Order: sequence, then C-alpha cells, then structure tokens
Amino acid sequence: MEFIIETTGLTKKYGSLVAVDKLDLKVEANTIHGFLGPNGAGKTTTIKVLVGLLKPDGGSVSVLGQEIGWDKPDVRSRIGYMPELPKLPKHLKGRELLDIYGRMQGMTAEERGIQIPKLLDMVDLRERENDLIGEYSKGMQQRLGLAQALIGEPKLVILDEPSLGLDPGGMVEVREIMKEMAKEGVTIFLSSHLLHEVQQVCTHVTIINKGVVVTSGTLKQVSAKARGPLTVEAEVDKLSKAVIEKVKELPYVTSVIEEGKRLSVEVETRDDIRSEVSQAITAGGGIVISMNLKGESLEDIFMDLLAKHKRTKEVTK
Amino acid sequence: MTQNRLGWTGKFLAVVRYEILWNIRKKKFLGILVVAFALATLSLAGGHIASAITGDPVEPNPDFVINANVGLGGFGFFLFAIVTTMNTISGEFESGTIVPLLAKPISRTTVFFGKLFAAFLTLLATYCFLMVYMTIGGYVVYGPQNNLHLVPLSLLGALFSTLIWIAIVLLLGTVSRSSLIAALGALGIWLGTAIIGSIIGALAGQGWILTYIPGSGNTGSVGGPPQLGFTVTTGTDSIGPNLINYILHPSWEVTYYKIDIGGTTPEQVQWIALNSEPLSTIILTSIAVALIYFIVFVATSWYFFRRAQVTE
Repeated sequence: MEFIIETTGLTKKYGSLVAVDKLDLKVEANTIHGFLGPNGAGKTTTIKVLVGLLKPDGGSVSVLGQEIGWDKPDVRSRIGYMPELPKLPKHLKGRELLDIYGRMQGMTAEERGIQIPKLLDMVDLRERENDLIGEYSKGMQQRLGLAQALIGEPKLVILDEPSLGLDPGGMVEVREIMKEMAKEGVTIFLSSHLLHEVQQVCTHVTIINKGVVVTSGTLKQVSAKARGPLTVEAEVDKLSKAVIEKVKELPYVTSVIEEGKRLSVEVETRDDIRSEVSQAITAGGGIVISMNLKGESLEDIFMDLLAKHKRTKEVTK
Repeated sequence: MTQNRLGWTGKFLAVVRYEILWNIRKKKFLGILVVAFALATLSLAGGHIASAITGDPVEPNPDFVINANVGLGGFGFFLFAIVTTMNTISGEFESGTIVPLLAKPISRTTVFFGKLFAAFLTLLATYCFLMVYMTIGGYVVYGPQNNLHLVPLSLLGALFSTLIWIAIVLLLGTVSRSSLIAALGALGIWLGTAIIGSIIGALAGQGWILTYIPGSGNTGSVGGPPQLGFTVTTGTDSIGPNLINYILHPSWEVTYYKIDIGGTTPEQVQWIALNSEPLSTIILTSIAVALIYFIVFVATSWYFFRRAQVTE
C-alpha cells in the first residue's frame, strides 16, 4: 500500500504545550482523507509540519516518499497547500499571484498560460483576475486560495478548512472540485470542521484529539469503532402491538420505544438495517411514513469517539 | 503532470517581482518618493526663491549637481531604507502571507535574498530617477555643470549608505517579526548616532568612535577649523561625497577638532586640533564599515529567517 503521507511518532511542542504527541498518521494514495478533531487538537500544527512551515520536535515525517527536512523545497513542488482562511498578498492582482506562484512552482510561461486561465475559470474569478486581491471579498480570496493550492498540478493537495467563508453554492463547488481532483489521481488531505462535508467527499478519515490519533481508517471502519448504539427512528401509520412485536423479533434489536406514531428502535449492529426494520413494520400491518438512522452520521461517530477517548485518558490518569 | 522547468534563477526572479510589486504599490513608499521629489525640486528652486526675495539674479553654480548627492542626505537614506524594508520580512509574518509563500517549493534563502535584491533594485531605480532629475534640473537652473562624469559616484555612495540602514531594519524586522519595532528601533539607532553621538563626539573629543558606526560619522575639516575650512564627515552617509572629493582632491588631509568652550561669546570658543588623516583612509574605512555592518546584519537576518517557524 502506497502512503502519500506517513508520520511516525511526530511530536511538536510550543514551549511546555504538546500540540502534537507522537502522532502516527498514514494517508493512502488516491484517497480523499478527512482530518478531524476539535479546536486545538493539533490539526493545523500537523499540516504546517507537513508543508515545512514548522519544524517537528520528534518523530519522522515522509510526504510523497521523501523525508521532510527543514527548508527542503523539492518535496513541496508536488504539494498544493491551502491554509485556513488564506492570507494572500493584497498588493497583487489575482492573476499576478497565480503567475508568481506558478513561477515559484517552476512552471514555464507556456504551462502558466494554459493552467492559470483554467484555474481562474474553475474558481470563477476570471472576470476579476486583474483586480487587486485587497479588493476581493472574503469568499473570493478563499476561492483564489484554492486556485493557488492547485497551481503546478500537485500530487497531494492539503486543504485546511477550504469551505470556510464560502456561501452554500461555493461549498458545493469546492466539494465537486475535490471529487474531480481525486478522479484525476490527486490525493486530498482535508481538514474540516464541517463533518457533513467530510462525510460527503472523504473515503478515509483520521480523528485526532490533543495531538493524538483517536482513530483512523475508511469511513466504515471508523464508524465500526464508534461504541454508541445505532437507533432507527420511524414514523409509522397504523402503529400497533403487532408491529412492535414484529420489530422486536429482529435478532439485533435491543429495545423498542413507542411515542405516538414514532418508533425508536435501538440495535446492536452498526450495519444499516433500515430495510429489515421497514419489512418488519409492514409485516405487522404498519405503514412507514419516514425513517432515519441516528448515530450513523460522522458527527455522531466523532462525538462518540471523542467521548470515548476522553474517558480512556481519564482512566489512564 | 507538469514538469518543473524553471530553475533557481526563474524562482529567484519570481520573488524579486513579488517584492518589487509590493514595494512600488506601498502608499508609504509612494509618499516618500513624492517627498524626495518635492525636496529635490525645492533644492533646485532654491536659487530662484532667494533671487525672488533679494532681487538679485540667480548666480550660475557649476558645482550644484556634484554637491547635490542625488538630492538626499542621511535622513533621506534612512527613510528610503525604512519604506523599502520595514515590511520585507516582518510584514509577511504580520499579514500571514508568509504561510502560502513559504509553502511554495522555494528555499527560504531564495526568498530572503530575492526580497533583499528587490529592495536594492527599488532603491537603484529611485536614486537613478533622482540623480537624472537633479542633473538635468541643475543644468537648467544653474547653468553648465562641472565634473558630471563623477555624478554616478553619488549614486554609488547613496546606495552604500542606504544599504546599511536596510540591513539594520531587516535585522530588527526579522528578529522581532514586527514592522513597528523595525522602524522605531532603526529610528532610535539613527537618532542615537546622528544627534547624541555627534554631541558627545564633539564635546568629549571622542568623535573617532562615530567612524565605526553607521550614520554621519565624525566631523573634520580641511584647511582650518570647521568654521573656516571645508567640512568633511567620515560616516557611511558620506561615502558618495567623499569619493568625489577624493578624486578631485586626492591629497586632502582631514583634521579633527574638539570644541573647548572657554567662555560665553563665540570668540571665546576654541577649536583644538586632535589628529589628522588622509581622505583616502576615511573613504576606505567608511566603505569597510559599511560592508562589515551590511554583511553581519544581513547574515544574522538570514540565519533567523531560515530558522523561523511559522506559527501565524
């Protein structure tokens, strides 16, 4: 298995504060890998180490198969990085910025001539390309921040909160761009607070807390590690005792609570068993009006794993 | 996949372009340029203004251009150093633009020296403009000028003089990551050397110390005490005029004096000769001082910049 990012025992301290604590992180090639954690978990610090802005205090860091040393720019030629709320030089015009950054990437005039208009079109800034960045709105600066991360056709794109400051339409566009890039073989490492965004675009996820990996794997693997039970909530017409009995007969059901027309079915498995529950309701003579699964969303998993991690740390103490 | 084809030079020039665009679009740089242009114009118009007041005709002055020192003095050099360099490194940290910049595949050494070179080019272009303006203006206002072939030495001297202040501002900005500290710290050093240093030097007879620090330096004279002879300052701010004077008067010996305030009237103030040295020694010393300060300060800034962790 090829790992685009691999850290072993990565440690970063700010004085006495340990921001990243022996972090072991593995990001597979050609994936969209979500990087989650509460504020102060060490996400941005980890990212800054990956792109050479911070020097680790311990451990090893390998990106695209190369050890990240201090001030070794060669590795960065294949990394695109969009910082959180990117601060771009306001004295430059949008196109000038991409041209200068393209030169810094080592792109020829011909390559820049082809790629820059494409990127400006992609982030919808073509009409404002000759305006100073200082005159751009926050959303426009965010979009230009994304464009500058993609210049030079990187193999790995690291995005730190790319949807911050974007309107809903812009957020959808950013997700589509990420999916398109992934199809083209670009690995995306995405740090985001928007868990539904991560759930929509990511194939893999790593959750960290206080500089330590809580869990990592595919979305399904991470979901399986969450301890909390899944609950199927259904609104049922013609809800009767027969319906409840039929549902209780399902092998993985641990409890069934009836509230008016609402039925809450707690199950032991983390598989999606909505179809089985639906069939049992129908077999009991009920009619399913709506149904949803609680505890399956990344938000639920995230909260559950963080709570579990906190308890483990308290026990260790 | 794009293949990297631009080498180090292309990337270095990208940094230079980035920085020059920043410099020339700064309001404070444009402001200082306008002030310098206005002062140069005032200097050119000085003869006509005096003529209008006194009613006397404007006297031809064939040495106006050669004495003009590109229209700037010590404080002018200092101000241009401030406006071109106070944000060079610290401004990037303050605004957060250092983050995307240093994430690009370009070494910190290239970024640092690209920025420094951009400051040098900005100054060169500005001083060239002022030099040409003063030369043409001097010719028009004060008639044919002597020794115009030596005017480029003024430019060279002005660049030397400013580069020291650039190195100081750069060092303060890189270490503190604050443009304000860079500007105020440099101003403090300038005031210290220009005012306090001169007073202590003149009264205590220890002016030689000023030869070894940036700024206007020690004051001596040729052909008698300062009020009678031709005044020469030894500091790094005077490299240009001293070079020109050396070419025109290679045998000049500069004598230093100490003031002895013997009474309350000007007649009672005595100038006591301390020592003399050739102008050539003064020039070599000031150039060496300029180079040593420049190299040490720039190397220290570069060391700090290379090690700087971007926590912003």
